[in-house]
Amino acid sequence: MAENQTESLIQAIRCTQKLRASVANVFQSLADGCPVEKDNAVAAIGAFQESLLVVYNDFSDVEKVSSSLQPLSSVTPNSIYLSIDPAIDKLPVYQQIIQSYKWSNKVSDLAGYAASVMEPHAKSKRTTQYSSAQAKKVKRISPTGHAVAPTAVEACIARLTQKVPDISMKITHPLGSHAVLQLTLGRILKAQLALRGLIIERVNVRGLTETNLDESQMELWSRSKYDVFQKVTESATAAVLHFYFPHNAEMSLYTFLHWFQKFRTLFSAPCQKCGKHYLNGLPPTWRDLRSTEPYHDVCRQ
Amino acid sequence: MGVVCVYAFPVPEGKSGQQVVDSLQKQVELLGAVKTGNFSVDCETYQANTQAGTLTTTPQRLIHVLHNSEQPASCFSVLDTGTTLIADVLFDVLIHKLTSGKAGKEAFYQQRKGSKMESKGPRYELSDFIIKIGSVSMASNFKGILVEVEYSPCSVPTECWNLMRELMQSFMGNVAETPPTLVKNKMDNFYLPGDTINQYLEHFTNFRKQTVMGQPIR
Repeated sequence: MAENQTESLIQAIRCTQKLRASVANVFQSLADGCPVEKDNAVAAIGAFQESLLVVYNDFSDVEKVSSSLQPLSSVTPNSIYLSIDPAIDKLPVYQQIIQSYKWSNKVSDLAGYAASVMEPHAKSKRTTQYSSAQAKKVKRISPTGHAVAPTAVEACIARLTQKVPDISMKITHPLGSHAVLQLTLGRILKAQLALRGLIIERVNVRGLTETNLDESQMELWSRSKYDVFQKVTESATAAVLHFYFPHNAEMSLYTFLHWFQKFRTLFSAPCQKCGKHYLNGLPPTWRDLRSTEPYHDVCRQ
Repeated sequence: MGVVCVYAFPVPEGKSGQQVVDSLQKQVELLGAVKTGNFSVDCETYQANTQAGTLTTTPQRLIHVLHNSEQPASCFSVLDTGTTLIADVLFDVLIHKLTSGKAGKEAFYQQRKGSKMESKGPRYELSDFIIKIGSVSMASNFKGILVEVEYSPCSVPTECWNLMRELMQSFMGNVAETPPTLVKNKMDNFYLPGDTINQYLEHFTNFRKQTVMGQPIR
Protein backbone atom coordinates (compact mmCIF):
# COMPACT_ATOMS: atom_id res chain seq x y z
CA MET A 1 0.00 0.00 0.00
CA ALA A 2 2.85 2.31 0.93
CA GLU A 3 4.59 1.53 -2.37
CA ASN A 4 1.41 2.31 -4.21
CA GLN A 5 1.31 5.62 -2.56
CA THR A 6 4.91 6.52 -3.48
CA GLU A 7 4.24 5.54 -7.08
CA SER A 8 1.19 7.74 -7.24
CA LEU A 9 3.19 10.49 -5.55
CA ILE A 10 5.91 10.26 -8.16
CA GLN A 11 3.30 10.28 -10.87
CA ALA A 12 1.66 13.32 -9.32
CA ILE A 13 4.99 15.12 -9.24
CA ARG A 14 5.59 14.29 -12.85
CA CYS A 15 2.15 15.50 -13.81
CA THR A 16 2.74 18.72 -11.93
CA GLN A 17 6.06 19.19 -13.67
CA LYS A 18 4.33 18.58 -17.00
CA LEU A 19 1.66 21.13 -16.13
CA ARG A 20 4.26 23.68 -15.15
CA ALA A 21 6.12 23.06 -18.36
CA SER A 22 3.01 23.44 -20.51
CA VAL A 23 1.88 26.57 -18.62
CA ALA A 24 5.41 28.03 -19.00
CA ASN A 25 5.22 27.18 -22.67
CA VAL A 26 1.95 29.13 -23.03
CA PHE A 27 3.29 32.18 -21.23
CA GLN A 28 6.55 31.94 -23.18
CA SER A 29 4.74 32.00 -26.50
CA LEU A 30 2.56 34.88 -25.22
CA ALA A 31 5.61 36.85 -24.04
CA ASP A 32 7.59 36.25 -27.22
CA GLY A 33 4.77 37.35 -29.38
CA CYS A 34 4.66 36.37 -32.99
CA PRO A 35 4.59 38.15 -36.23
CA VAL A 36 1.02 37.97 -37.40
CA GLU A 37 0.49 37.86 -41.03
CA LYS A 38 -2.74 37.80 -42.95
CA ASP A 39 -2.74 34.12 -43.68
CA ASN A 40 -0.84 33.25 -40.59
CA ALA A 41 -3.42 34.55 -38.05
CA VAL A 42 -5.67 31.57 -38.09
CA ALA A 43 -2.70 29.20 -37.76
CA ALA A 44 -1.25 31.22 -34.81
CA ILE A 45 -4.58 31.13 -32.97
CA GLY A 46 -4.78 27.39 -33.65
CA ALA A 47 -1.28 26.85 -32.18
CA PHE A 48 -2.14 28.91 -29.09
CA GLN A 49 -5.40 26.98 -28.65
CA GLU A 50 -3.46 23.74 -28.89
CA SER A 51 -1.02 24.78 -26.19
CA LEU A 52 -3.95 25.77 -23.96
CA LEU A 53 -5.51 22.38 -24.57
CA VAL A 54 -2.28 20.73 -23.43
CA VAL A 55 -2.45 22.85 -20.26
CA TYR A 56 -6.04 21.82 -19.75
CA ASN A 57 -5.20 18.13 -20.23
CA ASP A 58 -2.22 18.34 -17.92
CA PHE A 59 -4.32 20.06 -15.31
CA SER A 60 -7.00 17.39 -15.42
CA ASP A 61 -4.25 14.76 -15.11
CA VAL A 62 -2.93 16.44 -11.99
CA GLU A 63 -6.40 16.61 -10.56
CA LYS A 64 -6.97 12.93 -11.23
CA VAL A 65 -3.69 11.89 -9.60
CA SER A 66 -4.19 14.18 -6.63
CA SER A 67 -7.62 12.69 -5.99
CA SER A 68 -6.05 9.24 -5.88
CA LEU A 69 -3.54 10.45 -3.27
CA GLN A 70 -4.56 9.87 0.37
CA PRO A 71 -4.11 12.46 3.01
CA LEU A 72 -1.31 11.75 5.46
CA SER A 73 -2.21 9.48 8.36
CA SER A 74 -4.42 11.10 10.95
CA VAL A 75 -2.71 9.14 13.72
CA THR A 76 0.07 11.72 13.91
CA PRO A 77 -1.79 14.80 12.74
CA ASN A 78 0.11 17.39 14.68
CA SER A 79 3.49 15.82 14.20
CA ILE A 80 3.13 16.50 10.55
CA TYR A 81 4.16 20.08 11.25
CA LEU A 82 7.52 18.75 12.43
CA SER A 83 8.28 17.88 8.84
CA ILE A 84 8.17 21.59 8.02
CA ASP A 85 11.00 22.18 10.45
CA PRO A 86 13.89 23.63 8.42
CA ALA A 87 16.52 22.17 10.77
CA ILE A 88 15.37 18.64 10.00
CA ASP A 89 18.95 17.40 9.68
CA LYS A 90 19.83 18.41 13.22
CA LEU A 91 16.73 17.07 14.91
CA PRO A 92 15.38 14.06 13.05
CA VAL A 93 12.28 13.69 15.25
CA TYR A 94 9.81 13.41 12.44
CA GLN A 95 11.63 10.54 10.76
CA GLN A 96 11.86 8.73 14.04
CA ILE A 97 8.16 9.20 14.64
CA ILE A 98 7.33 7.89 11.21
CA GLN A 99 9.65 4.92 11.80
CA SER A 100 8.12 4.01 15.09
CA TYR A 101 4.65 4.50 13.70
CA LYS A 102 5.42 2.11 10.89
CA TRP A 103 6.96 -0.34 13.33
CA SER A 104 3.98 -0.29 15.65
CA ASN A 105 1.67 -0.69 12.68
CA LYS A 106 3.65 -3.74 11.66
CA VAL A 107 3.47 -5.17 15.18
CA SER A 108 -0.26 -4.75 15.34
CA ASP A 109 -0.61 -6.40 11.93
CA LEU A 110 1.54 -9.35 12.99
CA ALA A 111 -0.32 -9.62 16.26
CA GLY A 112 -3.53 -9.82 14.26
CA TYR A 113 -2.13 -12.69 12.19
CA ALA A 114 -0.87 -14.45 15.32
CA ALA A 115 -4.27 -14.06 16.99
CA SER A 116 -6.04 -15.55 14.00
CA VAL A 117 -3.59 -18.49 13.92
CA MET A 118 -3.79 -19.18 17.65
CA GLU A 119 -7.52 -18.71 18.05
CA PRO A 120 -8.62 -22.31 17.38
CA HIS A 121 -6.04 -23.67 19.87
CA ALA A 122 -7.02 -21.20 22.53
CA LYS A 123 -10.67 -21.98 22.02
CA SER A 124 -10.22 -25.71 22.50
CA LYS A 125 -8.21 -25.17 25.69
CA ARG A 126 -10.64 -22.73 27.18
CA THR A 127 -13.63 -24.89 26.51
CA THR A 128 -12.06 -27.78 28.42
CA GLN A 129 -11.29 -25.52 31.39
CA TYR A 130 -14.75 -24.08 31.35
CA SER A 131 -16.40 -27.48 31.34
CA SER A 132 -14.41 -28.68 34.37
CA ALA A 133 -15.23 -25.48 36.25
CA GLN A 134 -18.84 -26.00 35.40
CA ALA A 135 -18.71 -29.54 36.75
CA LYS A 136 -17.36 -28.22 40.06
CA LYS A 137 -20.00 -25.57 40.13
CA VAL A 138 -22.72 -28.14 39.66
CA LYS A 139 -21.40 -30.02 42.69
CA ARG A 140 -21.32 -26.82 44.70
CA ILE A 141 -24.93 -26.05 43.99
CA SER A 142 -26.27 -29.28 45.37
CA PRO A 143 -25.03 -30.07 48.88
CA THR A 144 -25.81 -33.63 49.81
CA GLY A 145 -26.00 -33.25 53.58
CA HIS A 146 -29.76 -33.63 53.61
CA ALA A 147 -29.81 -36.84 51.59
CA VAL A 148 -27.99 -39.25 53.85
CA ALA A 149 -29.22 -42.74 54.53
CA PRO A 150 -30.49 -43.35 58.10
CA THR A 151 -27.80 -45.98 58.66
CA ALA A 152 -25.10 -43.49 57.68
CA VAL A 153 -26.62 -40.97 60.08
CA GLU A 154 -26.49 -43.47 62.89
CA ALA A 155 -22.89 -44.36 62.10
CA CYS A 156 -21.96 -40.69 62.05
CA ILE A 157 -23.64 -40.03 65.37
CA ALA A 158 -21.90 -43.04 66.88
CA ARG A 159 -18.59 -41.48 65.82
CA LEU A 160 -19.62 -38.13 67.25
CA THR A 161 -20.59 -39.69 70.57
CA GLN A 162 -16.96 -40.67 71.03
CA LYS A 163 -15.68 -37.29 69.94
CA VAL A 164 -17.98 -35.32 72.24
CA PRO A 165 -18.04 -37.33 75.45
CA ASP A 166 -19.77 -34.67 77.57
CA ILE A 167 -23.04 -34.97 75.69
CA SER A 168 -25.13 -38.10 75.90
CA MET A 169 -27.07 -38.63 72.70
CA LYS A 170 -30.10 -40.66 71.85
CA ILE A 171 -31.51 -41.08 68.37
CA THR A 172 -35.25 -41.16 67.87
CA HIS A 173 -37.25 -41.24 64.67
CA PRO A 174 -40.57 -39.67 65.53
CA LEU A 175 -41.04 -38.16 62.08
CA GLY A 176 -40.25 -41.11 59.86
CA SER A 177 -36.79 -41.49 58.40
CA HIS A 178 -35.26 -38.27 59.69
CA ALA A 179 -33.66 -38.46 63.09
CA VAL A 180 -34.29 -36.32 66.14
CA LEU A 181 -31.35 -36.24 68.52
CA GLN A 182 -32.09 -36.05 72.22
CA LEU A 183 -29.08 -34.47 73.89
CA THR A 184 -28.47 -34.39 77.60
CA LEU A 185 -25.66 -32.21 78.82
CA GLY A 186 -24.52 -33.27 82.25
CA ARG A 187 -27.00 -32.23 84.88
CA ILE A 188 -27.64 -28.89 83.23
CA LEU A 189 -29.99 -29.13 80.30
CA LYS A 190 -31.66 -31.17 77.63
CA ALA A 191 -31.80 -30.30 73.96
CA GLN A 192 -33.62 -31.63 70.92
CA LEU A 193 -31.90 -31.49 67.56
CA ALA A 194 -34.10 -32.06 64.53
CA LEU A 195 -31.96 -33.42 61.70
CA ARG A 196 -32.66 -33.57 58.01
CA GLY A 197 -30.10 -36.08 56.91
CA LEU A 198 -27.16 -34.62 58.76
CA ILE A 199 -28.21 -30.99 58.49
CA ILE A 200 -29.52 -29.42 61.67
CA GLU A 201 -32.99 -28.07 61.07
CA ARG A 202 -33.98 -26.92 64.54
CA VAL A 203 -32.61 -26.89 68.00
CA ASN A 204 -34.64 -26.49 71.17
CA VAL A 205 -33.10 -26.30 74.61
CA ARG A 206 -35.06 -27.08 77.77
CA GLY A 207 -34.43 -27.67 81.41
CA LEU A 208 -33.39 -31.03 82.74
CA THR A 209 -36.56 -31.37 84.81
CA GLU A 210 -38.96 -29.95 82.26
CA THR A 211 -41.55 -32.32 80.86
CA ASN A 212 -44.29 -31.72 78.38
CA LEU A 213 -47.78 -31.25 79.71
CA ASP A 214 -49.17 -33.75 77.22
CA GLU A 215 -46.54 -36.33 78.19
CA SER A 216 -45.36 -36.63 74.59
CA GLN A 217 -41.74 -37.21 73.76
CA MET A 218 -41.74 -34.45 71.16
CA GLU A 219 -40.28 -31.48 72.90
CA LEU A 220 -39.29 -29.82 69.65
CA TRP A 221 -42.05 -27.28 69.53
CA SER A 222 -42.63 -26.33 73.13
CA ARG A 223 -40.36 -23.60 74.37
CA SER A 224 -38.80 -23.82 77.77
CA LYS A 225 -40.63 -21.91 80.48
CA TYR A 226 -37.34 -20.64 81.85
CA ASP A 227 -35.81 -17.45 80.43
CA VAL A 228 -32.30 -18.85 80.61
CA PHE A 229 -33.06 -21.81 78.34
CA GLN A 230 -34.95 -19.62 75.90
CA LYS A 231 -31.82 -17.49 75.64
CA VAL A 232 -29.66 -20.58 75.17
CA THR A 233 -32.01 -21.76 72.42
CA GLU A 234 -31.52 -18.44 70.65
CA SER A 235 -27.75 -18.69 70.97
CA ALA A 236 -27.76 -22.27 69.72
CA THR A 237 -29.91 -21.39 66.71
CA ALA A 238 -27.46 -18.64 65.83
CA ALA A 239 -24.60 -21.12 66.20
CA VAL A 240 -26.31 -23.65 63.90
CA LEU A 241 -26.32 -21.02 61.17
CA HIS A 242 -22.73 -20.08 61.93
CA PHE A 243 -21.40 -23.64 61.81
CA TYR A 244 -23.23 -24.59 58.60
CA PHE A 245 -20.92 -26.14 55.98
CA PRO A 246 -22.94 -27.17 52.93
CA HIS A 247 -20.40 -29.76 51.76
CA ASN A 248 -19.45 -31.26 55.05
CA ALA A 249 -22.54 -31.86 57.10
CA GLU A 250 -20.74 -34.11 59.56
CA MET A 251 -18.20 -31.37 60.19
CA SER A 252 -20.91 -28.82 60.86
CA LEU A 253 -22.68 -31.19 63.25
CA TYR A 254 -19.41 -31.89 65.05
CA THR A 255 -18.40 -28.23 65.38
CA PHE A 256 -21.86 -27.39 66.67
CA LEU A 257 -21.79 -30.14 69.28
CA HIS A 258 -18.25 -29.20 70.28
CA TRP A 259 -19.43 -25.65 70.86
CA PHE A 260 -22.64 -26.76 72.55
CA GLN A 261 -20.92 -28.92 75.15
CA LYS A 262 -19.42 -25.75 76.65
CA PHE A 263 -22.86 -25.05 78.11
CA ARG A 264 -21.94 -27.59 80.73
CA THR A 265 -20.80 -24.60 82.78
CA LEU A 266 -23.90 -22.56 81.98
CA PHE A 267 -24.63 -21.73 85.62
CA SER A 268 -21.16 -21.93 87.09
CA ALA A 269 -18.88 -20.01 84.70
CA PRO A 270 -18.48 -16.25 85.17
CA CYS A 271 -18.64 -13.82 82.26
CA GLN A 272 -15.25 -13.20 80.65
CA LYS A 273 -15.90 -9.48 80.30
CA CYS A 274 -17.53 -8.34 83.53
CA GLY A 275 -16.31 -11.23 85.68
CA LYS A 276 -19.72 -11.79 87.25
CA HIS A 277 -22.24 -14.59 87.12
CA TYR A 278 -25.46 -12.66 87.56
CA LEU A 279 -26.73 -9.96 85.20
CA ASN A 280 -30.39 -8.99 84.71
CA GLY A 281 -31.63 -12.25 86.17
CA LEU A 282 -29.54 -14.45 83.88
CA PRO A 283 -26.17 -16.21 83.95
CA PRO A 284 -23.79 -15.81 80.96
CA THR A 285 -25.90 -17.40 78.23
CA TRP A 286 -23.60 -16.78 75.28
CA ARG A 287 -20.57 -18.85 74.39
CA ASP A 288 -18.17 -17.26 71.93
CA LEU A 289 -18.24 -19.08 68.60
CA ARG A 290 -14.45 -19.27 68.29
CA SER A 291 -13.03 -19.22 71.78
CA THR A 292 -16.16 -20.78 73.41
CA GLU A 293 -15.71 -18.44 76.37
CA PRO A 294 -18.80 -17.46 78.34
CA TYR A 295 -20.30 -13.98 78.02
CA HIS A 296 -23.51 -12.29 79.07
CA ASP A 297 -25.75 -11.43 76.19
CA VAL A 298 -25.10 -7.75 76.86
CA CYS A 299 -21.34 -8.13 77.39
CA ARG A 300 -20.52 -9.89 74.13
CA GLN A 301 -20.80 -6.82 71.93
CA MET B 1 -37.71 -27.86 90.95
CA GLY B 2 -34.81 -25.54 91.42
CA VAL B 3 -32.36 -24.92 94.20
CA VAL B 4 -33.78 -23.12 97.24
CA CYS B 5 -31.91 -21.23 99.93
CA VAL B 6 -33.75 -20.11 103.05
CA TYR B 7 -32.11 -17.57 105.34
CA ALA B 8 -33.23 -16.03 108.61
CA PHE B 9 -32.87 -12.30 108.14
CA PRO B 10 -31.90 -10.55 111.37
CA VAL B 11 -34.07 -7.73 112.67
CA PRO B 12 -31.81 -4.98 113.96
CA GLU B 13 -32.58 -3.39 117.33
CA GLY B 14 -34.85 -0.39 117.23
CA LYS B 15 -36.62 -1.57 114.11
CA SER B 16 -39.85 -3.45 113.85
CA GLY B 17 -40.18 -6.59 111.75
CA GLN B 18 -42.57 -4.85 109.40
CA GLN B 19 -40.05 -2.08 108.69
CA VAL B 20 -37.38 -4.60 107.75
CA VAL B 21 -39.82 -6.51 105.54
CA ASP B 22 -40.80 -3.29 103.81
CA SER B 23 -37.21 -2.28 103.11
CA LEU B 24 -36.45 -5.78 101.78
CA GLN B 25 -39.46 -5.61 99.49
CA LYS B 26 -38.36 -2.22 98.22
CA GLN B 27 -34.87 -3.52 97.45
CA VAL B 28 -36.17 -6.57 95.66
CA GLU B 29 -38.50 -4.42 93.59
CA LEU B 30 -35.59 -2.14 92.71
CA LEU B 31 -33.76 -5.16 91.31
CA GLY B 32 -36.61 -5.54 88.84
CA ALA B 33 -38.61 -8.28 90.51
CA VAL B 34 -42.35 -8.49 89.88
CA LYS B 35 -44.81 -9.40 92.60
CA THR B 36 -46.73 -12.52 91.70
CA GLY B 37 -48.93 -13.06 94.73
CA ASN B 38 -48.44 -14.37 98.24
CA PHE B 39 -47.07 -17.54 99.73
CA SER B 40 -47.25 -19.38 103.00
CA VAL B 41 -45.46 -22.27 104.68
CA ASP B 42 -47.05 -23.64 107.82
CA CYS B 43 -45.95 -26.20 110.32
CA GLU B 44 -47.85 -28.07 113.00
CA THR B 45 -46.25 -30.40 115.54
CA TYR B 46 -47.81 -33.49 117.01
CA GLN B 47 -46.43 -35.69 119.74
CA ALA B 48 -47.03 -39.33 120.35
CA ASN B 49 -49.31 -40.19 123.23
CA THR B 50 -47.02 -42.30 125.36
CA GLN B 51 -49.78 -43.59 127.60
CA ALA B 52 -51.54 -45.03 124.64
CA GLY B 53 -48.45 -46.74 123.29
CA THR B 54 -47.45 -50.23 124.35
CA LEU B 55 -43.75 -49.41 124.64
CA THR B 56 -43.53 -46.92 127.48
CA THR B 57 -39.74 -46.85 127.41
CA THR B 58 -39.50 -45.16 124.04
CA PRO B 59 -38.90 -41.43 124.25
CA GLN B 60 -41.58 -39.06 123.15
CA ARG B 61 -41.83 -39.05 119.38
CA LEU B 62 -42.64 -35.90 117.43
CA ILE B 63 -44.09 -35.52 113.99
CA HIS B 64 -44.08 -32.21 112.13
CA VAL B 65 -46.70 -31.70 109.46
CA LEU B 66 -45.94 -28.93 107.00
CA HIS B 67 -47.61 -27.39 103.93
CA ASN B 68 -46.01 -25.28 101.27
CA SER B 69 -48.08 -23.10 98.96
CA GLU B 70 -45.55 -23.80 96.20
CA GLN B 71 -46.65 -27.45 96.26
CA PRO B 72 -50.33 -26.99 97.12
CA ALA B 73 -51.37 -30.60 96.54
CA SER B 74 -48.75 -32.08 98.86
CA CYS B 75 -48.45 -32.54 102.58
CA PHE B 76 -45.00 -32.95 104.11
CA SER B 77 -44.43 -34.78 107.36
CA VAL B 78 -41.07 -34.98 109.07
CA LEU B 79 -40.09 -37.18 111.99
CA ASP B 80 -37.47 -36.37 114.63
CA THR B 81 -35.13 -38.77 112.92
CA GLY B 82 -35.27 -36.70 109.77
CA THR B 83 -37.40 -39.11 107.81
CA THR B 84 -39.48 -37.06 105.42
CA LEU B 85 -42.73 -38.27 103.94
CA ILE B 86 -44.32 -36.43 101.06
CA ALA B 87 -47.98 -37.32 100.63
CA ASP B 88 -51.22 -35.94 99.21
CA VAL B 89 -53.08 -33.32 101.20
CA LEU B 90 -55.42 -36.13 102.22
CA PHE B 91 -52.73 -37.07 104.71
CA ASP B 92 -54.19 -34.28 106.86
CA VAL B 93 -57.33 -36.36 107.27
CA LEU B 94 -55.28 -39.31 108.50
CA ILE B 95 -53.51 -37.11 111.02
CA HIS B 96 -56.86 -35.78 112.13
CA LYS B 97 -58.04 -39.35 112.74
CA LEU B 98 -54.88 -40.23 114.63
CA THR B 99 -55.29 -37.24 116.93
CA SER B 100 -58.92 -37.78 117.79
CA GLY B 101 -59.75 -40.38 120.39
CA LYS B 102 -62.49 -42.83 119.68
CA ALA B 103 -64.85 -44.72 121.97
CA GLY B 104 -62.97 -44.25 125.19
CA LYS B 105 -59.63 -45.00 123.63
CA GLU B 106 -56.98 -42.34 123.74
CA ALA B 107 -55.63 -40.94 120.48
CA PHE B 108 -52.22 -42.00 119.13
CA TYR B 109 -51.02 -38.44 118.66
CA GLN B 110 -51.91 -35.16 120.23
CA GLN B 111 -51.28 -31.66 118.98
CA ARG B 112 -48.78 -29.53 120.83
CA LYS B 113 -50.50 -26.44 122.04
CA GLY B 114 -49.40 -23.14 120.63
CA SER B 115 -46.89 -24.81 118.40
CA LYS B 116 -48.33 -23.86 115.03
CA MET B 117 -45.83 -21.75 113.10
CA GLU B 118 -46.27 -20.00 109.82
CA SER B 119 -44.16 -18.00 107.38
CA LYS B 120 -46.24 -15.71 105.19
CA GLY B 121 -45.55 -12.90 102.79
CA PRO B 122 -45.24 -11.68 99.22
CA ARG B 123 -43.79 -13.78 96.41
CA TYR B 124 -41.65 -12.12 93.73
CA GLU B 125 -40.34 -13.31 90.41
CA LEU B 126 -37.16 -11.99 88.82
CA SER B 127 -36.53 -13.74 85.52
CA ASP B 128 -35.97 -17.35 86.64
CA PHE B 129 -35.54 -16.48 90.30
CA ILE B 130 -38.36 -16.70 92.83
CA ILE B 131 -37.94 -14.55 95.94
CA LYS B 132 -40.20 -14.91 98.97
CA ILE B 133 -40.05 -12.63 101.97
CA GLY B 134 -41.90 -14.25 104.84
CA SER B 135 -42.69 -13.00 108.33
CA VAL B 136 -42.67 -15.89 110.78
CA SER B 137 -45.35 -15.99 113.40
CA MET B 138 -46.03 -18.49 116.17
CA ALA B 139 -49.53 -18.37 117.59
CA SER B 140 -49.91 -14.93 115.97
CA ASN B 141 -46.75 -13.59 117.61
CA PHE B 142 -44.06 -12.18 115.28
CA LYS B 143 -40.87 -14.26 115.54
CA GLY B 144 -38.63 -13.16 112.70
CA ILE B 145 -38.08 -12.96 108.98
CA LEU B 146 -37.28 -15.78 106.57
CA VAL B 147 -36.12 -14.98 103.05
CA GLU B 148 -36.36 -17.75 100.48
CA VAL B 149 -34.62 -17.53 97.09
CA GLU B 150 -35.18 -20.18 94.45
CA TYR B 151 -33.38 -20.58 91.16
CA SER B 152 -35.71 -22.80 89.20
CA PRO B 153 -33.79 -23.84 86.04
CA CYS B 154 -30.99 -25.57 87.92
CA SER B 155 -31.29 -28.54 90.27
CA VAL B 156 -27.72 -28.98 91.45
CA PRO B 157 -26.55 -26.51 94.15
CA THR B 158 -22.83 -26.58 93.20
CA GLU B 159 -23.62 -25.43 89.69
CA CYS B 160 -25.63 -22.35 90.53
CA TRP B 161 -24.47 -21.39 94.02
CA ASN B 162 -22.19 -18.56 92.85
CA LEU B 163 -24.93 -17.18 90.64
CA MET B 164 -27.45 -17.27 93.49
CA ARG B 165 -25.00 -15.75 95.93
CA GLU B 166 -24.46 -12.74 93.68
CA LEU B 167 -28.17 -12.08 93.51
CA MET B 168 -28.81 -12.68 97.22
CA GLN B 169 -25.93 -10.52 98.36
CA SER B 170 -27.26 -7.70 96.24
CA PHE B 171 -30.23 -7.30 98.58
CA MET B 172 -29.37 -9.31 101.70
CA GLY B 173 -25.73 -8.46 102.18
CA ASN B 174 -23.56 -10.75 104.27
CA VAL B 175 -26.43 -12.96 105.42
CA ALA B 176 -26.01 -15.03 102.26
CA GLU B 177 -22.25 -15.53 102.53
CA THR B 178 -22.39 -19.33 102.73
CA PRO B 179 -25.08 -21.76 101.65
CA PRO B 180 -27.52 -22.96 104.32
CA THR B 181 -26.13 -26.01 106.16
CA LEU B 182 -28.71 -28.32 104.68
CA VAL B 183 -27.81 -27.24 101.16
CA LYS B 184 -24.12 -27.33 101.99
CA ASN B 185 -24.40 -30.99 102.98
CA LYS B 186 -25.71 -31.99 99.59
CA MET B 187 -24.09 -29.52 97.23
CA ASP B 188 -23.50 -32.15 94.56
CA ASN B 189 -26.89 -33.86 94.65
CA PHE B 190 -30.18 -33.07 93.05
CA TYR B 191 -32.22 -30.69 95.11
CA LEU B 192 -35.71 -31.91 96.06
CA PRO B 193 -38.85 -30.22 97.43
CA GLY B 194 -38.38 -32.10 100.72
CA ASP B 195 -35.10 -30.23 101.26
CA THR B 196 -36.93 -26.91 101.25
CA ILE B 197 -39.32 -28.18 103.91
CA ASN B 198 -36.41 -29.37 106.04
CA GLN B 199 -34.79 -25.96 105.77
CA TYR B 200 -38.00 -24.30 106.95
CA LEU B 201 -38.37 -26.80 109.76
CA GLU B 202 -34.84 -26.13 110.90
CA HIS B 203 -35.53 -22.40 111.04
CA PHE B 204 -38.88 -22.94 112.81
CA THR B 205 -37.17 -25.11 115.43
CA ASN B 206 -34.52 -22.44 115.97
CA PHE B 207 -37.18 -19.76 116.44
CA ARG B 208 -38.97 -22.02 118.92
CA LYS B 209 -35.77 -22.69 120.86
CA GLN B 210 -35.06 -18.97 121.10
CA THR B 211 -38.52 -18.45 122.57
CA VAL B 212 -38.03 -21.24 125.07
CA MET B 213 -34.69 -19.85 126.17
CA GLY B 214 -36.29 -16.44 126.49
CA GLN B 215 -33.78 -14.73 124.27
CA PRO B 216 -34.79 -11.57 122.52
CA ILE B 217 -35.48 -12.13 118.86
CA ARG B 218 -32.92 -10.39 116.74
